[in-house]
Amino acid sequence: MKIKNILRLSIIFMLALSPACNDFLNVTPDNIATIDYAFRMRSTAERFLFTCYSYMPSHASLNENPALLAGDELWLVASNTNNAWQIARGNQRIVNPYVNSWQGSLGSKDLYQGLRECNVFLENVHLVPDIIEYERERWIGEVKFLKAYYHYYLIRMYGPIVLIKENLPVGAPAEQVRIPRSPVDECFDYVVQLLEEAEAALPDKIDFEVSELGRITKAIALSLKAKVLVTAASPLFNGNSDYTGFTNKDGTSLFNTTFDVEKWQKAADACKEAIEFCESLGHRLYEYNPEFVQYNLSDTTLIQMSIRNAFNEKWNPEVIWANTNSMSAGIQANATPRGLDPALTANTGAQGNIAPPLKIAELFYSDNGVPIDEDITWDYNNRFRLKIPGYDHRFNLKQGYTTVQLHFDRENRYYASLGFDGGIWYGQGRYNDENSDILFVSSKAGQPAAAINMNSYSTTGFFPKKYTHFQSVIGSGNTFTRENYPWPVLKLNELYLLYAEALNEADGPSEEVYFYLNKIRRRAGLQDVEAAWSTYSINPDKYKSQTGLREIIQRERTIELIFEGKRFWDLRRWKLATTELNKPITGWDLDQSSAEGYYRERLIFNQTFRLKDYLWPLNENTLLANPALVQNPGW
Amino acid sequence: MELADPITYMTMHNEAVLTRDPLGILPYSKQKIDNTAAGLNRAMYPVTDWRKELIRDHTINHSVNLNVSGGGKVARYFVAGGFTQNNGLLKVDKKNNFNNNIDLKTYAVRSNVNVNLSTTTRLDVRVNATFDEYTGPISGGTQVYRNVMRTNPVLFPPYFEPDADHAYVQHILFGNFDDGTGNYYLNPYADMVRGYKAYSRSVMMAQFELSENLDRFLEGLRFRVMANTSRNTYFETERAYLPFWYQASSYNKLTDTFKLSLLNEDGTYAGQEQLSYAPGSKEVMADFYSESALSYDQTFNDKHAVNGLFVFLAQNRVTGNATNLESSLPFRNVGLAGRAAYSYDSRYNMELNFGYNASERFHAKHRWGFFPSVGLAWTVSNEKFWEPLLNVVNSFRVKGTHGLSGNDAIGSPTDRFFYLSNVQMNDPNRGAIFGRDNSYSRPGISILRYSDPEITWEISTKSNLGLEIGLLDQFRIELDFYKESRSNILQSRASTPAEMGLSATPQANVGKAEGKGFDASVDYNKVFNKDFWLQGRFNFTFAKSKFKVYEEYYYNDIAPWRSHVGYSINQQWGYLAERLFVDDEEAAKSPRQNFGEYGGGDIKYRDMNNDGQITELDMVPIGYPTVPEIVYGFGFSAGYKGFDFNAFFQGLARESFWINPHATAPFRQYYYNADELRDRPGWPQKLTQNQLLKAYADDYWSEDNQNIYALWPRLSVSSAGHGNNSQTSTWFMRDGSFLRLKQVEVGYTLPTRITKKAYMEMFRIYVSGNNLLSWSDFKLWDVEMGGNGLGYPIQKVFNLGIQLNF
Repeated sequence: MKIKNILRLSIIFMLALSPACNDFLNVTPDNIATIDYAFRMRSTAERFLFTCYSYMPSHASLNENPALLAGDELWLVASNTNNAWQIARGNQRIVNPYVNSWQGSLGSKDLYQGLRECNVFLENVHLVPDIIEYERERWIGEVKFLKAYYHYYLIRMYGPIVLIKENLPVGAPAEQVRIPRSPVDECFDYVVQLLEEAEAALPDKIDFEVSELGRITKAIALSLKAKVLVTAASPLFNGNSDYTGFTNKDGTSLFNTTFDVEKWQKAADACKEAIEFCESLGHRLYEYNPEFVQYNLSDTTLIQMSIRNAFNEKWNPEVIWANTNSMSAGIQANATPRGLDPALTANTGAQGNIAPPLKIAELFYSDNGVPIDEDITWDYNNRFRLKIPGYDHRFNLKQGYTTVQLHFDRENRYYASLGFDGGIWYGQGRYNDENSDILFVSSKAGQPAAAINMNSYSTTGFFPKKYTHFQSVIGSGNTFTRENYPWPVLKLNELYLLYAEALNEADGPSEEVYFYLNKIRRRAGLQDVEAAWSTYSINPDKYKSQTGLREIIQRERTIELIFEGKRFWDLRRWKLATTELNKPITGWDLDQSSAEGYYRERLIFNQTFRLKDYLWPLNENTLLANPALVQNPGW
Repeated sequence: MELADPITYMTMHNEAVLTRDPLGILPYSKQKIDNTAAGLNRAMYPVTDWRKELIRDHTINHSVNLNVSGGGKVARYFVAGGFTQNNGLLKVDKKNNFNNNIDLKTYAVRSNVNVNLSTTTRLDVRVNATFDEYTGPISGGTQVYRNVMRTNPVLFPPYFEPDADHAYVQHILFGNFDDGTGNYYLNPYADMVRGYKAYSRSVMMAQFELSENLDRFLEGLRFRVMANTSRNTYFETERAYLPFWYQASSYNKLTDTFKLSLLNEDGTYAGQEQLSYAPGSKEVMADFYSESALSYDQTFNDKHAVNGLFVFLAQNRVTGNATNLESSLPFRNVGLAGRAAYSYDSRYNMELNFGYNASERFHAKHRWGFFPSVGLAWTVSNEKFWEPLLNVVNSFRVKGTHGLSGNDAIGSPTDRFFYLSNVQMNDPNRGAIFGRDNSYSRPGISILRYSDPEITWEISTKSNLGLEIGLLDQFRIELDFYKESRSNILQSRASTPAEMGLSATPQANVGKAEGKGFDASVDYNKVFNKDFWLQGRFNFTFAKSKFKVYEEYYYNDIAPWRSHVGYSINQQWGYLAERLFVDDEEAAKSPRQNFGEYGGGDIKYRDMNNDGQITELDMVPIGYPTVPEIVYGFGFSAGYKGFDFNAFFQGLARESFWINPHATAPFRQYYYNADELRDRPGWPQKLTQNQLLKAYADDYWSEDNQNIYALWPRLSVSSAGHGNNSQTSTWFMRDGSFLRLKQVEVGYTLPTRITKKAYMEMFRIYVSGNNLLSWSDFKLWDVEMGGNGLGYPIQKVFNLGIQLNF
């Protein structure tokens, strides 16, 4: 009897307890943020827009942008742990790959995550109430551009990718989220489609420059489209028979192995459209023309300043797209030699530890505007002989300082892009190029810019001067105050070169190809391509054939855009990496203090590039997580 | 821990650079090595034994306790107070005007009062509090020890004596080295003396308990309400200057002079003579717990014992130093528990239990969990037929239980409301910046967790079978076997492809595991006569676990050995290390290893799936679990007249551990956590360089001695080679079994007739030692330090103490 009562009581008690306790346990306030909060007003939606932008790869970051260190333009001290550089050393792998944009690790942002954010934005932006329609459309255009860019970035690395046109639901069963890769042509088509949708909604250019420069415009979208189409038309993706038989598990071919010249025509048209549009907005090749002239500078210095500043003078008229979220201060420190100013050798603010190999220095033309091994007036075989610069060379080389013939009679882009032992380094507060206090690099053993410690020195003896703004100044202590510029991602000179390339591929040599090529050459102080080759080359008719002109355009592009993060991708899309990236990395013999000893070519590394290296490997575990995926060939 | 001598350190460091990069710049010139060996000027060519410089080998601690108790029929009280002072083992520097050796004072107060409010009502109030006051170096003793083990002995001395050029300088001239990265090395001496930290901690607990005897309604019925609250507060303050770093250069052998140059005169990491203040961490926490219980306990006819219990409990905990909204919200549990027990004639016992609990972490639908259990016991020795055995086997009892229990402590304090999504509306890492001069920036929005209302209690079903045996009035033996199966274990979903782009991995209650074990203990207790007594004890536990269901990739066709199913929860996966590569050629021909550059002298792994590559699929379960399956201990105490003696041994078996190839890798950087060794938040970590263990220096692969079974593979300072050799593998796997003499103590108490004369109650003098002896197959360092031979050592401690009671 009693026990029964107790039981009954306790059941009532328990039932009564539950609701009261639930109140006690409801500790979470009602307005805990969910993703809906992002689209309740303009200001939070703007944050989400910026979130979409935040996945933009950091183009100026040595660790994140493989185009800087994963190729052969720059080399590091062996102890460096830079991720991208591991690829250049042949260490790419399928376990935790370097610069893994597919998953966002070892030096890369997670681009698929970025794509998800873009889609969340596109799905929800219509909900924002307090925004004018024009701005909403513009934002949609920007996010579509970003979605296109992230896809394009992945395609360049991985070839055929999984297209994320819409988001995959979070709680969905596994089978529903296992999406296979799409054929590479389909991938490019989707990117172009997105860019065309974006174009219509984007403003031609930025009106509120103080607050909005760096945001995406129609000029950027058109230019990127031109570049995407050129990439799609290039040998790596257009009829590449190396990928015959590279299929999905269901047999779908991922590469179209028949060449289609139409792709080049489409690319040329897109280039033309972009050039015309950019020029109509006032974009033009940059020329150094300071408003306030302190000194009467020589023509040599003026041309070289045009070349340097076209890259590192922020928002100059040549820049179409600069990434404000990736600034150059870091790379300037890596580029500028420690001990450039002999009075400040202890200043490690300038580290000077990214080193262009000798083969890059040899790529530049002679002062006649043809390759040094083609120039009939240039003594190629004796290029490592010592020579003392005279008065005539004073703007390029330190007068009376023994150096090597390689440094003599080269084009202005050579001196503007490279620093080296005995080379003049205009800037750092010394602005009179006639004055003998102008700085030059001295980096033989025991000299100010030599290797005095294990980290801050150039392993080859060369420095990528192009990165350093001439007004950046090394001060006392460890201070290095830099003119900080946003990284230029797209410039007009690149469009000219893309156009010339596409036209030549589509129709062969023409006046229009020469016209755009010569625009670039004239700014660099060189003769026109026809005159230079006819007069100085051992192969005077080279520019008249499609193959010859192709080589010329490729060389011109490499030199003009050296260190800008282009060659790495160009060698891949031209399928030239197997030849170019299998050459040894060499430099001067740094341990020597005499000119005779120092100017000997020293082997630093035997670089190897295998066929499989054209495409990034997928991490092994992405294949386990998504069994619908196939690995890239060779990995 | 024995370290290699400084000359070996330098030559091997040079070798480590050259063996990987023939063009590398050597860290030490030949001249530096020769001059150091010749013992030239020690400021210029330092040989620093950092341990000796910074650490003493003894200290004095004090401790005082006071107890008072008393009372009468109505009320009783007990009051106790204690004081302990611990002094650290660090050397105090006389150069500073502040003493920054460790000084930790602990005060404890306790007071219990109980009052009989009426004949049936009793009130208990208990209050206790502990207060710590600490001053000492900013980094504590462990940190200082760790620091000295990762500081180069020859790069710079702790400090320089001021020379003529620096006669005017008021600060200490700390040694350092400029390696061109713009960062400075860790100087453990500077780190210790540059400032001091003070902290105060208080822990207070108050408890109130009211019990009512309800015999007037029903014999044996009781009601009890108890509530307690505890508060923890902790705050610390740091005062420090920023050291000035000096480097010696331009040594002149003839005059024995060198030039001192100041490295950080200005710039970001400039030295600073005046003390600056930094608020350290703060902790505030309040805890509230209450339970009300109704119990019934009665025996009928001396044979039928019945008892029952209902308890309602509620718990609330809040912290004042939450890092995000989620951790700032209270932690709450409520529950109702009940018990009904019946025993017949002290022979047969039966018990039913249940818990009906709720947790704030789960969605209202899945918030409550019901966890019943049942228990049976039979005291065989109380049976009639046992009587003849009673002299030998004094007691014999068999018992068994079976039941469910729940665990809501899944996830973490900052990630616990699984039914809600967690969106960071103000994420600086996901923002962007625009404008001509980068003048317009906005933070971004990120998702830290996707909502899943289905996540709920982890459940465990446990069965026990136990025996209790008493023998010869001297031994007491307890044996207990158990089996437990856990389900609903929270695990991350493996089937979320990267292409989904999720910014957080979803989790679900999917895992299942099983555990089995055995506990045994034997106690021995005997008083032989008034002068001599002896006690002994022995305990032994064995526990094994395995996963039944584990959320992982579908491995069956590809690499079945990767599956966790069937393996211990603490099982380690790793590569099978065969040996070191003979040379670069062999390395190039063998299956490609995907962990960075490697060559001769680096570890060669086995390709399990024969695909020509060593990848994560080649990992296999290796060794015993990382938590020992067997733990045992034994010891005894004895007293003879005024002397007392006791000793205790402890041991464990069936455990594997791995030598940590990062923490012990000579010449490489090692950080224990991402925030240490920054002079100020946001500054880079100071550079470190691991010391060289003598054991490694004596047995490593070198180009001169290409021993393919050497203890340490080919040296490396950069990531080349190190990435390959630092994989979890059988190469660095070791047996963790050991037996240790944990404690021995000998004491002598003066006879009371003598102490009485000095108005003392007791005078005892004792010597004790901790960790004096140990037995293990692992000889490189103390096995209990685990994989890190450069970590804080297990210390042999000798105490000499006097105990006085008044």
